[in-house]
Amino acid sequence: MSLLESIIPKLNRTVACADEAKPAAPAIKPRYEVKEAADAFALTVQMPGVAKEGLSITAEDDTLTIRGERGWKRPVGWTSLYRESSDLAYELVLQHDNAVDGDKIHAELRDGVLRVALPKTEARKPRKIAVS
Amino acid sequence: MRLVRYTYPTTRSLVPAYGSTFRNPWSGLEGEIDRLFESALGDFVGASAAPDRFPVDLYEDKDNTYVRAELPGVERADINVEMVEDYLTITAARKTKDGENEQSFSFSRSVTIPGAVQPDKVAAAYENGVLTVTLPKREEAKPRKISVSIN
Repeated sequence: MSLLESIIPKLNRTVACADEAKPAAPAIKPRYEVKEAADAFALTVQMPGVAKEGLSITAEDDTLTIRGERGWKRPVGWTSLYRESSDLAYELVLQHDNAVDGDKIHAELRDGVLRVALPKTEARKPRKIAVS
Repeated sequence: MRLVRYTYPTTRSLVPAYGSTFRNPWSGLEGEIDRLFESALGDFVGASAAPDRFPVDLYEDKDNTYVRAELPGVERADINVEMVEDYLTITAARKTKDGENEQSFSFSRSVTIPGAVQPDKVAAAYENGVLTVTLPKREEAKPRKISVSIN
């Protein structure tokens, strides 16, 4: 443990969580983007090579886990001459502090891009309070 | 745990070139700070690093050469595959809509295809965000079995 990491332990928090959850299955972290609107978060994850069958989205209390297995396997007889991509599955673990309503999550996978709508829980939505 | 080894400057190390052999006392700390910045910012930087470069794989079997390119979220009409001599160029454009602003973003890669290709028979397919280009080899580039008669 380095000195700087012990002073600022929060920096490595996301990495540590991912390691604890699935130590056995190796995976890479996909590119993703989260946008926030008033009543929902919009998550976009780039997972090229993942078909609908290989995708699993798990919503626990405060964790959203997205795992995508690649649907394509190198056919027998093909030799790889040059590789840049990885064969590993994608895994993205996001923590949201119970701000997301797990029952209303809506996901859509198209052309290797996963779009997930994460509606906020009623308690977290902004409310206008009328002043009497 | 990180060990920074300190070596006493000996006469041998001091004489030939002072600057090159003398270890900078701050180099350990500098490395540590660089590493911290990389690990802390990697999550943010890594997501957008080199967005114009998409990964390309090259495969081969007996009859064809295959190029697979990861191009998630691109319309089929916006993908352009060109073959000029031995070069295969893949150009793609991605349009993102953010409210009323629409951004178009194009990127391309060129790959040298080893061996002779029949350019008129090149085919491409796009599935799950991966483009597969099939390039049939020319007859003379295919491996051939020649039986030699022995007298």
